[in-house]
Amino acid sequence: MKEVLIGLIAGIVSGTGMGGGTVLILLLTVLSGIEQHVAQATNLIFFIPTSIVAIITNWKYKLIDKKLALIISIFGTIGAIIGAVISSKTNVENLKKYFGLFLAIIAIWEIYSYFKLYIFKEKRENNNIKDK
Amino acid sequence: MKKSIVIGLMAGFISGFFSTGGGMLLVPTFLYLFRLEDKKARATSAMCILPMVVTSGIFYYKNNYIDWKIGILCAIGGIAGGYLGAKLLKKLDAKYFKIAFICFLIYTSIKFLF
Repeated sequence: MKEVLIGLIAGIVSGTGMGGGTVLILLLTVLSGIEQHVAQATNLIFFIPTSIVAIITNWKYKLIDKKLALIISIFGTIGAIIGAVISSKTNVENLKKYFGLFLAIIAIWEIYSYFKLYIFKEKRENNNIKDK
Repeated sequence: MKKSIVIGLMAGFISGFFSTGGGMLLVPTFLYLFRLEDKKARATSAMCILPMVVTSGIFYYKNNYIDWKIGILCAIGGIAGGYLGAKLLKKLDAKYFKIAFICFLIYTSIKFLF
């Protein structure tokens, strides 16, 4: 039951377009005490059905840049193989540390994009009003 | 073409290593480097991530990291949550979600690092 709830929360975050996967991994490791590798694997299963639904809808609305998607997918798959192999050889303690570092980088990026989206934009809009 | 190859490899590596986060690299790259509009950037990103996730899934499966019971339970909650989240986004300002998400990220990154 706890897992369904964790999935629900992560799903809500995904639905709002932010990192649902990071939330899922965190809740699974912190609340359910699941090993990092297993939590990451769970995220993969979690991602597939939800993303297929989104992809079909997006395909219908012609929102996918197919040529770009093809190139990125080919090289992304090669990258994914390298990443998955290295990850499986990394011990849990280190993997957790890298994950923490990765989250810190995302946090910094999110703060930057928050300022860019909301703070500077408001300033610009205010200036435009003044100009008029 | 070179840009796409490098970005593809990086996003793939992140997706394989952490199983998440590839999209966080792809979406801003598509927006700012490839000049796609917001909806297109997100849609193309999801399309690109799927083969990466399936590929890493095979490797995680081979290493016996997949717990099907937990996975399916989470997916059930996830489908309902995804629907709710998309509805919520239309009603509430994304701004507040972002603030909550940032606080959450800072707290957990500290927890994982120390």
